Amino acid sequence: MRELILFGIIAATYLMVIAKRVPALIRSFRYQSFFLFLITLAAAIEEGHADLYWVALLILILKVLFVPYAMYRIARRINVDENLGLLVNSQLSLLIALALTYCSRIFSRTLGFHQDFRAVAITVAFAVVFIGAFLMVSRMKAFTQVTGLLVMENGIFLFGSFLSGGMPFLVEIAISLDVLISVIIMGLFVYRINKVFTHIDVNKLSRLRG
Amino acid sequence: MLAFFTQHNFLFDPLALFFLAVIGIVSLPSAVYSFSYLKGEYSAGKTRLASCLMVAFIAAMALVVSVSNVLVFLVCWEIMSLVSYFLVVFDTKHEKSIQAGMIYIIMTHVGTAFLIAAFMLMYTHAHSFDFLSIKNACLTMPAQTKNIVFVLLLAGFGTKAGIVPLHIWLPYAHPQAPSHISSLMSGVMIKTAVYGLLRFVLWTLGVQAFWWGPVVLVLATITCLVGIIYALMERDIKRLLAYSSVENIGIILLGVGLSMFFLYLNKPYLAVFALIAGLFHLINHAVFKGLLFLCAGSVYKATGTRDMEKLGGLIRTMPRTAVYFLVGAMAISALPPFNGFVSEWMTLQAFFLGALNVTAGVKLFLGICAALLALTGGLAAACFVKAFGITFLAQPRSRYAKEAKEVPLPMRLGMFFLALLTLVCSLGAVKIIRILAAVAGVACGIDTGGMSFSFNAFILQPQLGQRVYLSAPLLAMALALFGLAGFIVYTVAGKGKAVSYRTWDCGYYKLDARNEYTATAFSKPFRISFSFFLLPYRRTQKIWESFYHVKSFTYETHTTPVFRKYIYDPLLKLIFKSAVTMRRIQPGSIHLYLGYIFVTLLLLIVFMGQF
Repeated sequence: MRELILFGIIAATYLMVIAKRVPALIRSFRYQSFFLFLITLAAAIEEGHADLYWVALLILILKVLFVPYAMYRIARRINVDENLGLLVNSQLSLLIALALTYCSRIFSRTLGFHQDFRAVAITVAFAVVFIGAFLMVSRMKAFTQVTGLLVMENGIFLFGSFLSGGMPFLVEIAISLDVLISVIIMGLFVYRINKVFTHIDVNKLSRLRG
Repeated sequence: MLAFFTQHNFLFDPLALFFLAVIGIVSLPSAVYSFSYLKGEYSAGKTRLASCLMVAFIAAMALVVSVSNVLVFLVCWEIMSLVSYFLVVFDTKHEKSIQAGMIYIIMTHVGTAFLIAAFMLMYTHAHSFDFLSIKNACLTMPAQTKNIVFVLLLAGFGTKAGIVPLHIWLPYAHPQAPSHISSLMSGVMIKTAVYGLLRFVLWTLGVQAFWWGPVVLVLATITCLVGIIYALMERDIKRLLAYSSVENIGIILLGVGLSMFFLYLNKPYLAVFALIAGLFHLINHAVFKGLLFLCAGSVYKATGTRDMEKLGGLIRTMPRTAVYFLVGAMAISALPPFNGFVSEWMTLQAFFLGALNVTAGVKLFLGICAALLALTGGLAAACFVKAFGITFLAQPRSRYAKEAKEVPLPMRLGMFFLALLTLVCSLGAVKIIRILAAVAGVACGIDTGGMSFSFNAFILQPQLGQRVYLSAPLLAMALALFGLAGFIVYTVAGKGKAVSYRTWDCGYYKLDARNEYTATAFSKPFRISFSFFLLPYRRTQKIWESFYHVKSFTYETHTTPVFRKYIYDPLLKLIFKSAVTMRRIQPGSIHLYLGYIFVTLLLLIVFMGQF
């Protein structure tokens, strides 16, 4: 069962890689977060910690409901064309994402995870982090940079929860709040950038260098 | 914080205590001096800041010489450097301060980088930061590593000490700080580098290869000569003193280098004696250079200028400062009965005794070093004749000098204390040398119990049977007697003799300041004789009104800053060029930057797999 959810996560991540438009990206992010919620819930049921239920609830509220909603709103308000501006086209992106997934498999092996369920989980976690970083690098719109960061955060959460059996509840809450605030700040930034430059194309910010 | 002081983080062996004492005896008068020096110079808040920084500076120096942990040592070393940087740029009125601070902080960090490299190498062998365990681990360190560590330490501490060609920051930074800080920096801070060399090369590593001593000796000799030649060319009185510090560090390092040399040759007595000479010169230099900087500060405070060409005649308006400066100048020129004489005499004796105890080629080498040291002494005397003569004698060359007033009591007290010490260090030389023998013994790891350097409580005798004696008190007495005799002869025979002049008086009856010898003119013979090194050049500019009449004529003479022009400028050019090349990786694309982070992340993980 848990493997299935993990595959859901990685599939949602691949969906983000091939997404060409903003709504598709946000939707896929929502799927990913939802699967994350499911896996945390599964862990909570299995281990019976009250803390884990709270974490799961936090994920559901923040990452599945609020963050995607906020992103939709920003996208609608800045009202630009919805293309993400792919520096690497979606086919090639998918190939790179697959290669990164393979790398993650190797890394998880060097960490000493060979066969069991945790090996799969660590691989997926690594892959999600890498692909999040890759999204940040290879898409033009400032929007994707925000999303990429969130994806990376999801990956790190996954990694933490499977490597160490979950982080302390307080840390979890702190990180979640960080994410929330970062979304708000970046939303503001994107909004401001759009207002000043009438676009959110990061590629065109290169004249700002010192 | 408390744990830091209670754990075994300190090592108070004689070496550390000696340096603490040096710090103490220069800091005290400087602090007293600063009371009135700072008054009126800066605003109230800034004065308070200056005092705080001075205390932090002294504390950092004291910590540097007393901690027993390499890591803590580095931290204190950096605090010392940074605090002194803030003191160098303290006088924000002048743009020069900022520039001087820039050069200083860059050079000091380059030096610290060498030190960190050396300490890392030591750590990889000792697996501990503690001095004693490193010392023990160094016994089994491979020879090659020891050589590398030695070179790194020499470069690192050499930068702080101001060994040529790493001295470049010193004549900029030292004069720019407030004068009591200059006296601390020149008197004490650069000595912490000598402490570092003694602690880490002699005490920890032990002299392992033949070439270590000669390398230090050659560098020290060059440092002496270059320092004093540049000092002779200087017309800014504080920069002159700073260059002279470079020279004196050279003399101190001559003692240290000789000691290393004799240690390798397994001549413990000579090694200890040479190191005593170096240490004695160290303490003497701390005293008289501190004194001279305080005097220069008084002159600056009274006149508002450091340019000797604008001074002159101060002996009438500031007689006490003049006397103190004269004492300092005589001490630094190695004239008896002051302390500089004793330590330079000892250094020369160490060379001679060494030359008697070694064979052919080395004999020549030591002889040449000794000759160059003697030349340095002569040049130093010339330099301070100039410094004293131009600043204090003759007629004032500017309004500032004419209106100068004697400085207030706390400043005079500071100077008086140090001037007294120059005499005390000389008269009590035998006592001091007995103490220094213990210090040198600890540094070299030699038991000095059976060694004797003195005949009785008054007479120094470096080696039994060589018939070499020196007694500073007797010398002082003889000088006083001769002086008294001369005075009596003068008063008895000289008085009442008719002196009549002035009819035309060879045109001497109407001399003013413009007829006087200037600092530049005084140093001209030296500029000519050392022209192969100084590369002087002149620039003339004539503006003709007509063919027959020159409206204005300007004549400038400069010396080429050899080290800056041929070492540092090309280096800087190279750095800037590579910086421009490096800048290509910064095109301003956020994606590329994110990509860098991404690639770094991947590489780090790959590397993690390697280990």
